Amino acid sequence: MRVPTKPRRLMVRLVWLVVGLLFVGSFWGLDLEWAKIGELPSDVVHYFGLMFSDPDWSKLPEALFQTWRSVSMAWVGALLGVALSTLLGIPAAEGVGPIWIRLPLRWLFAVIRAVPEVIIAIILLTVTGLTPFTGALALAIGGIGTHAKWTYETIEATPTGAGEAVKAAGGNLLQMVRWGLWPSASPELMSLGLYRFEINVRTSAVLGLIGVGGIGDMLTGYVQFRDWSVVGMLIIVVIVVTMTIDAVSGRIRRRIMEGAKSIELDRIV
Amino acid sequence: MPERTPHTEVEGAESSAFVAWPIELDGVTVRYPNGVVALNNVSLSIAAGEMVSVVGLSGSGKSTMIRTINGLVPATNGTVTVGPHTVTTLRGKALRELRGSVGMIFQGFNLADRASVYQNVLVGRFAHTATWKTMLGMASSEDREIVLRALDSVGMLEKVWGRAGALSGGQKQRIAIARALSQEPEVMLADEPVASLDPPTAHAVMTDLERINTERGLTVLVNLHLMDLARQYTTRMIGLRAGEVVYDGPATTATDADFEAIYGRPIQSRDRLGK
Amino acid sequence: MTNTLVLPPKPRTWPRNVGVVLALAAMTLLTTLPRLGGVEIDLGSIARNWSNAAERIGMLLQPDLSILPRTIEPMFQTLSMAIVGTVLAAALAIPLSLWAARPTNPNGLTRRAVRFVLNVVRAVPDLVYATILVAMVGVGTLPGVITLILFDVGIVVKLVSESIDSADSAYMEGGRAAGGTQTQINKVTALPQSWPVIASQVLYSLELNVRISAILGIVGAGGIGRLIDEVRGFYRYDALSTIIIEILVVVLIIEVVSNYLRKRLR
Repeated sequence: MRVPTKPRRLMVRLVWLVVGLLFVGSFWGLDLEWAKIGELPSDVVHYFGLMFSDPDWSKLPEALFQTWRSVSMAWVGALLGVALSTLLGIPAAEGVGPIWIRLPLRWLFAVIRAVPEVIIAIILLTVTGLTPFTGALALAIGGIGTHAKWTYETIEATPTGAGEAVKAAGGNLLQMVRWGLWPSASPELMSLGLYRFEINVRTSAVLGLIGVGGIGDMLTGYVQFRDWSVVGMLIIVVIVVTMTIDAVSGRIRRRIMEGAKSIELDRIV
Repeated sequence: MPERTPHTEVEGAESSAFVAWPIELDGVTVRYPNGVVALNNVSLSIAAGEMVSVVGLSGSGKSTMIRTINGLVPATNGTVTVGPHTVTTLRGKALRELRGSVGMIFQGFNLADRASVYQNVLVGRFAHTATWKTMLGMASSEDREIVLRALDSVGMLEKVWGRAGALSGGQKQRIAIARALSQEPEVMLADEPVASLDPPTAHAVMTDLERINTERGLTVLVNLHLMDLARQYTTRMIGLRAGEVVYDGPATTATDADFEAIYGRPIQSRDRLGK
Repeated sequence: MTNTLVLPPKPRTWPRNVGVVLALAAMTLLTTLPRLGGVEIDLGSIARNWSNAAERIGMLLQPDLSILPRTIEPMFQTLSMAIVGTVLAAALAIPLSLWAARPTNPNGLTRRAVRFVLNVVRAVPDLVYATILVAMVGVGTLPGVITLILFDVGIVVKLVSESIDSADSAYMEGGRAAGGTQTQINKVTALPQSWPVIASQVLYSLELNVRISAILGIVGAGGIGRLIDEVRGFYRYDALSTIIIEILVVVLIIEVVSNYLRKRLR
């Protein structure tokens, strides 16, 4: 039996080789202590026991207060961020703004995307101080990077027909955006806005770690005191709150997207 | 300069008299940025109040031609004149005002599906309304009256508060006609208005367009690719092939041979709508 | 216009609209009441801090390049953490993705269990892991790498398993018809089939990792973030601005490369 020679997939092997070399090189460069890695499993069990065997619920009221502060930062940040992203994202869409507006805006978004929110907050707090307001502003500005990108992508994906009709009837650019693009793009944009809030809930906890307040701030404090039973309680609160917000917001988002369709169905009769 | 036609009072028209406008194309060439020449040195003149069909296969340049008339596609060369306006020199506000006087109907209806029928038809008043008012969806009582009359004239008044997206294709095209009518235009353009509709609905929409021409006295220019519709509903026919005019004459007496010359191939069954 | 038109009754949509607006307004009000823990929108603070802030912003606008040599080693550490984290997470995420998707794991119980655990893992933000891990195993790159692995596994498994779920899985029928076990079928059919998705999501997680590992050092988990924390402590905003620009450039380069590779995958 003559079997054709198996093709040597040179490119694939090359890719694996590069990935392998990168990994080995990086791993070696990290200088990890093997002893610590060996102790890791027993450490994890030890600290899990300290945190979760008997969480300290006496600090729960303060934890909830701080959680609300984080959620507030997330909400205000989402509101401001979505408003700014909509204002900046729509002119950045093809078919709306001219190229000399689109390109600089898209560059701005890419640059903001590249800077972590924590760093934006560090810059901002020179002006506004270590307050939750700084956290909300950092979330708003940081959110522009991805959210404005989603906005112009959504606008570009909406059918152009209605906009053409507004232009043909003598409408100007603003009227074209308002009645040609907005009606079909708005449910998607609202849904993305809620998603931005979900993301912000996670990020606001992170911002707390640099001292702007909220659950992250409280967590750092108790980690530094090595008060593990409180830390355990705080982690449980973070997980429960985050998952609950995800579930509720996800359900509303589905309503928004499906509602747009089901109302149409009602009216067919 | 094209001649201004005298006021023609139309008996029995629902609204006050219109001044229909003539259309003139003089050596119009359109070359798209990708190099495609969609329209090549086209010259023709359409008298006020005429009902003209533009026939050709897809890609023959008829969509481009109709869009040069309201300036949606700028002409690379030549001049387009509509009534008192030289479209090819207009820009900005002046161009939008001209568009306000030229109604347009599209193959894909081009409605905002998630907005109400009322809001969609109100688009026809945009050229005459302050921008801030349209942003909020507000309308003067006069505009509201015009919109409702336009809807009534196409028999769609009872759908006024429904969503445009919930309607059938034929209903959507009627809303689109109402939108164009609410502009109170002097000229009506239609780009393949029945290509997305089933035969009975197509005939109904063509009848609406015919009525707009006979009752209101508007100049109507309609793109078609079906020969029987052109023969039945229009008086004059312009044939386009590869961006050039290859036929210009009466529609009812156009022979099959004339159509074969326009299509550049023998007639096929899909060139007719049938019953 | 003589005859009057008979209009159909206008449907009442305003109660719903008013309800939505009220809900949004109420949420905004509740989140801006400081007494409840909300955000105090204090524009006055900007005015009060202005002289102080102007000086620091002035420093930010004049990057001090002399710190650059000191950034090279921690920046390499950041990139190494990102790469090691990505590769190890990918190795863990591939079997877990197959476990969490319906076509590749018909057993509802284990599938739901895997998904739930990963939802919990995803609910904890990255720097929170880093903070706790630093307290457990000490300052260094180890807590950073573990943080990245936890973060990546959560996100890669979610995205990959969802794409396996939504893709047409007719290709598996052949394997099932031939009487293979689920593991055999997965290895021979599902894995090659979902390879482009996996590779694309892993590249995406690498992009995120570079961004995260740049700040992990702020809580002591290694990399360039350590330097950020240090210069911030000494109010060296001119040096801070150099580091930020450097991170910006590195992240943008990684993003361009990763976008190019992802396009090649399709």
